Amino acid sequence: MLPQAPDSWTLAEAAHLLNRAGFGGSPADVIALHALGRTKAVDSLLQPGEAIGAIPLPAWATSDQVAADFRERAAQRALVQAAIKTMGPEEAEGYRKEAFKEAQRIDRQRMVEGRGWWFRKMLRTKAPLREKMTLFWHDHFATSQQKVREPGLLLLQNELFRRHATGDFRALTHAILWDPAMMLYLDTQSSKRGRPNENFAREVMELFTLGEGHYTEQDIREAARAFTGYEFRRIDASTRHNKRQWDEGEKTVFGKTGRFTGDDVIDLIFEKPEAARLMACKLWEYFAAEDPPPAAVDALADTLRRANFQVAPLLREIFLSKQFYSDAVVRNQIKCPIQFLVQLLKQLELDEAPRAYTQFSQEQLGQVLFQPPNVAGWDWGKAWINTNTLLTRYNLAGYLTKGSLKTPGTETAPPMASQDEVEMDGAPMTPDAAPPPQPPPPEKAKGDRAKKMLNAMELAARFWKGPDYEKIAPRSLRKRPADLVDSLGFRFFQSELPDKHRKRFIAFAEEKQGVVFTNHEVAELAHLMLSTPDYQLV
Amino acid sequence: MKTRRDFLRSTLLGASATWTLPMFVERTFAQLHGDAKDLAVQPVTGKDGPILVVLQLAGGNDGLNTLVPFADDDYRRARPKLAKTEKQVLRLSDSIGLNASMPWLASQFHEGDLAIVQGVGYPNPNRSHFVSTSIWETADPANRSNTGWLGRYFDNDCPGADPTVGISFSKTQPEAFGAVKNPGICLSSPELYRWIHGEGKASSAEEFFAELNRPDPDDTPQEGGSIAMPAGGKPGGLRGESNLDFLERVALDAQVSSAKILELAAKHKTRVAYDGTPLARSLNLVARMIAGRLPTRVFYVSHGGFDTHNNQGNTHDRLLGQLDGALKSFMADLKEQGNADRVVVMTFSEFGRRVGENASGGTDHGQGSCLFTLGQPVKGGLYGKHPSLSDLADGDLKFTTDFRGVYATVLENWLKAPSKPILRGDFAKLGFV
Repeated sequence: MLPQAPDSWTLAEAAHLLNRAGFGGSPADVIALHALGRTKAVDSLLQPGEAIGAIPLPAWATSDQVAADFRERAAQRALVQAAIKTMGPEEAEGYRKEAFKEAQRIDRQRMVEGRGWWFRKMLRTKAPLREKMTLFWHDHFATSQQKVREPGLLLLQNELFRRHATGDFRALTHAILWDPAMMLYLDTQSSKRGRPNENFAREVMELFTLGEGHYTEQDIREAARAFTGYEFRRIDASTRHNKRQWDEGEKTVFGKTGRFTGDDVIDLIFEKPEAARLMACKLWEYFAAEDPPPAAVDALADTLRRANFQVAPLLREIFLSKQFYSDAVVRNQIKCPIQFLVQLLKQLELDEAPRAYTQFSQEQLGQVLFQPPNVAGWDWGKAWINTNTLLTRYNLAGYLTKGSLKTPGTETAPPMASQDEVEMDGAPMTPDAAPPPQPPPPEKAKGDRAKKMLNAMELAARFWKGPDYEKIAPRSLRKRPADLVDSLGFRFFQSELPDKHRKRFIAFAEEKQGVVFTNHEVAELAHLMLSTPDYQLV
Repeated sequence: MKTRRDFLRSTLLGASATWTLPMFVERTFAQLHGDAKDLAVQPVTGKDGPILVVLQLAGGNDGLNTLVPFADDDYRRARPKLAKTEKQVLRLSDSIGLNASMPWLASQFHEGDLAIVQGVGYPNPNRSHFVSTSIWETADPANRSNTGWLGRYFDNDCPGADPTVGISFSKTQPEAFGAVKNPGICLSSPELYRWIHGEGKASSAEEFFAELNRPDPDDTPQEGGSIAMPAGGKPGGLRGESNLDFLERVALDAQVSSAKILELAAKHKTRVAYDGTPLARSLNLVARMIAGRLPTRVFYVSHGGFDTHNNQGNTHDRLLGQLDGALKSFMADLKEQGNADRVVVMTFSEFGRRVGENASGGTDHGQGSCLFTLGQPVKGGLYGKHPSLSDLADGDLKFTTDFRGVYATVLENWLKAPSKPILRGDFAKLGFV
């Protein structure tokens, strides 16, 4: 057990818990959580009252509808196959392209919609830890639309993560073996008896459970044989273990021999102590800080094993530990882009982002939901920040506080608008040799796409009310610049501002005060406070 | 020793805007000096050093219709629709010709300033755009590296360098720039690479912003964050550097580079006419940054649209024509500036395309392709062996030159940097520069 923190706690500590176990909140949210006391606050996050389906999935993403869509598309494919039989190759190609064009358009649209749905769920949910853990699992069992190309399957996987959010890690690992999106992503479904594909066997050990150095290449080769025969069927989106494609021979994994299936191998993996250690370490890093002390990892791994791989007790131990509230941890994590975006909206008490904002900003800041860069997930921490992403964060904060992306005094020039994006944007990408549909002339398509998105955002801003500054910064407060700064400081930083910064903000507010302190000027002050290195920390 | 603030005062905010020394050099000069004797090369911080322009042909350039083996029967057989005849190419030899959309590049070949490396690729090719691009950019065929080959060059060989040691004109930072210490900077447009606030330039907001985004003058430099520390930790971060220190460093870099780039972009207009293509615009910016004497070692620009699965003919020719036009203006510009002897351009693409055309009059993802290196310092000619069109690997050309050999040549012979630690191995150099 990690040494525990006392039940009495400060507002700043409550804010810290809400920031890390969720996506932060408004001052009122922090005060409400604080009132519960530390233990009850932690338990309220671990056992939220909100049902999983409180914010329902898009209609096309329910498991029934996904299956129905697969059946329909299978039927369509059969019709196309029949129709092109009598055609020459060229005509057939054209026919096929035309036939699937609409489906591809729908899929692109759905992925954007699914991304928006999850983002809004993170923003509005009353069960923030569930979403925070869903994001954790999405990174841990990283699966990307760029290869899977099935929004329905990715949303089903997302629901799987949500159901297992603080549940059984071992059960989730079994479930991921059977998860259609993962099957497509790591080629399990093309792994057959006699021709095993080592992709899944390797990643399940290296990235999902044990970590490098805790298995041999021989273990992987043998395990790959066990992972044969797992099939995803496009005719109805079902999965099965096809015994005829399974290598039923004896395998030796971690020195144990048997006619193992993939599920057997996963059980063998979880008998090794490293499975609990890697997860304990990753969870500490995700919620608390990088490079956890080995003693803490040992303690947490022990808790995880004793709880039979249930994650909730481990999380509870983290959130109640003294260390979690120490100076080395509090306000010392670099926000990931999703945290930055969701938390900023919450702090400004907005429950909706302007149109196109979520998609655009995720792309610009380097964390697009359902699109991790590779199977190892995103690079966290300092890797989020470079000069460009930092300026982009500052300018996105300007957009939310002031409602425009335009550079004052220029005609069009939106920030970060790139006419010269590389070709990959927008145009469908093919992870294999399958030809994509004909894109419009490349450089034009790109310019148009970026422009379209920015125009949509500018348009949205015009009809968008923005933060309610009368509430955030009541008129009475504006007469007292120091109090105004402290109030906004608590909203954005939840801790005392460094004195030198506080003085600068006050000086700015005093300068702005002039005759009357309008909403516009509050927005200016807020934007300035958000355009700082400090604001990137949580 | 001057503090960062003094330094900024005298340059960024003050009247004098000359950039005499990269920002970190002053702070760590003594330390660098001590370290320099252990380095294989001296710190590369000057403004007269060699410059590499990396030009990405994104999407997978069809090498066979770029450098055309017009005399090869197998080529014509594999591409009944797309094959170029002898009359449709600019002959470089009895068997090889350049796509006719590139007359200027052909002239450079004959003048000895264009080297073409044939059959460039890597073992166990991957046909995913993302994976293969990543492999080229990290120089790691296992695709496990979280730093890029150029980032490792910045880290290893440009200690104490200014953040503008590498500039990418793109929306997102290229993986090639991934670095532990100094990943360079990336921007889409100088006018927008800045903090955008609600008021005019003279607004006090700018001043407050500047104050907030620089380390306090009273802070002593964090020794842990010294730029000359050995590599360690994660991309973008130095070992032992706190998150806040790191953020402040990047914020200062952003502010400084933003001011510098805005100023240079405003000051230096080129007299050479460029086309209106995105690539030409990017190269125009590169030329202006070079004219402004930024201490940049590597520029990175991208030319997209090469994923020609359908009706490739016109599209591909047009893209190569744009490349030809943009490079022609760029090189003329450099010549006029007197910088032509300082710059080498290298193209790359994540893969070539299949030998056989597909049913849509296009080509699908393949393997080995050719690449160009261009510039006055280049020894022109054909390098490497043109891959055989009869001995294929699953319908694809077999590569004949490892791409890391090209990198090794550029690193050692042009940037004067030891390639082994960057490429994590020894690769045969090609001698084109």
